[in-house]
Amino acid sequence: MRRHTGVSGFLAFVMILPSIVLTLWTVGYPVVDIAVTSIHSVNRFGRTTGFVGLANFAALLADPIFVASFWRTLIWTASVVAGTILVSLPIALVLQEDFAGRGLARVIIMLPWAISLTMNAVVWRWILNGQYGMLNALLFDLGLIDGPVEWLAQARPAFMIEIAIGIFVSMPFTVTILLGGLASLPSEIYEAARVDGASAIMRFRALTLPLLKPFINMAIVLNIIYVFNSFPIIWVLTQGDPANSTDILVTYLYKLAFRYGRLDLAAAMSIVMLLILLVFSVAYASMAMRSQSAE
Amino acid sequence: MTSRQRRTVLSWLFLAPVVIVILFPYVVMVSTALKPSDEIFVFPPRWLPSRLAFENLSAMWVSTGFGRALLNSLIVGFGQTLLCIIFAIPAAYATARLTFTGSKLYRQFLLVTQMLSPIVLVIGLFRFIAGLGLIDSLLALILTGAAFNLAFAIWMLQSFMATIPREIEEAAWIDGASRIQSLVLVFLPLAAPALAVTCIFTFIASWNEFALALTLLRSGDQATLPLRIFTLVGGAYRIEWQQVMAATTLSTLPVALIFAFLQRRLVSGLALGAVK
Repeated sequence: MRRHTGVSGFLAFVMILPSIVLTLWTVGYPVVDIAVTSIHSVNRFGRTTGFVGLANFAALLADPIFVASFWRTLIWTASVVAGTILVSLPIALVLQEDFAGRGLARVIIMLPWAISLTMNAVVWRWILNGQYGMLNALLFDLGLIDGPVEWLAQARPAFMIEIAIGIFVSMPFTVTILLGGLASLPSEIYEAARVDGASAIMRFRALTLPLLKPFINMAIVLNIIYVFNSFPIIWVLTQGDPANSTDILVTYLYKLAFRYGRLDLAAAMSIVMLLILLVFSVAYASMAMRSQSAE
Repeated sequence: MTSRQRRTVLSWLFLAPVVIVILFPYVVMVSTALKPSDEIFVFPPRWLPSRLAFENLSAMWVSTGFGRALLNSLIVGFGQTLLCIIFAIPAAYATARLTFTGSKLYRQFLLVTQMLSPIVLVIGLFRFIAGLGLIDSLLALILTGAAFNLAFAIWMLQSFMATIPREIEEAAWIDGASRIQSLVLVFLPLAAPALAVTCIFTFIASWNEFALALTLLRSGDQATLPLRIFTLVGGAYRIEWQQVMAATTLSTLPVALIFAFLQRRLVSGLALGAVK
């Protein structure tokens, strides 16, 4: 028996080795490169010149656009994730019910998932077009506006629209997780609660919500990670403009690296973002491990 | 009215606003794609085209180099899916079936890499690919895309594989098959639906990928569809929106149809992969 474990241990090692090599090579190398770059200065040809300690991090903290992007990322992530959960929970509850056309409803709700964020954002940019967009047409026909409105030219409406689109594209994934959770709830306790005369609202608050909590938590953490990393919506709609007023960390990072040519500051920024992500990854990993060992 | 009929009406009433918001962009996309060009830039905009301007599609195909971008997207999609699945199969089998020291550590390693998005590592990736001399090459997208999707593919495959009963393989061993033989001849055919679902997800992820393409590709010739369409609305002084919408329609419709048909399978697979 012991010999058998030894053999399968070696076999397992051979089987997982390629995946480790590929990942360490393509993901690990960039991480190390960024870490090294973040504590060096880089000239304008992209060559690493001298060791500067934490000077890049200090320069980053002194950069008002970085600080503004940081706070905006918090607002962005918190609003999109909170909005997504609030919208997805009732949708999942309805989709769990038995009604005619439920299959079709599920297909429609899941549809934005199949379409890339880039395409979604391009279509929305046309809908929001300041002169000829369909949103203006709709509001004009409803008599809510007198003439065309430039939705994406001002920071506040642009950012709010971006948050709304963020919620709309995060919903299918979240509904899926919550539906998975709802399907796993034992039906017997609902029967018992109904026999005891509990109303639908009481059943939801006393049974569904607490039992669904691990799934809601999982959806929150995964969405935080995805939304924090989300690049195409803002990049396609406003590129973080006007005047950096809709930049979040990922879009400002891209600008620092490829538009302003500040690889040293961009590297320091990547490290800051990796540390933030690490916190949420650890939270996710412990949740995933717990749910797996609970089975 | 029976209670099920009442529930149907109430459910659809509740879902109606969501369904409208979801379908609205597709309606605008298709309607703009089929509008004659002189009906695009008018205020207030017309909702429906006065006639179906199918010539937009052929005009777009020529002026945007759509065929080339389509080919690039297909090459990257198939290349990346193949590379990813080849690496994922043995790893998923090992995590689902074999007990080995460090298996917990390996799972955590996968979970953490799943959290890293290309955009956060963008400078490191750019320099990595530049070091390999692969800037502006589709190979760069295949390699990096496969690496970033690998953890997800392994995770999803192994949660499927774990549901295949052990007895089937054990019977093959008793008949004298080696582990590798039983894996290839007995286990993988059983896992075929799971492999298909994982491949489709990897392909869709590749098809929709934007940040890596934006960073690693330089010339218009190599652009994949999302990058091509982004450049159409990027710099141009006057954007030919009917052509842009024709291009988005053509490049999203196939994926949307596949997804709609296989939705139940795909979604249950993903729920399995994401939650476990």
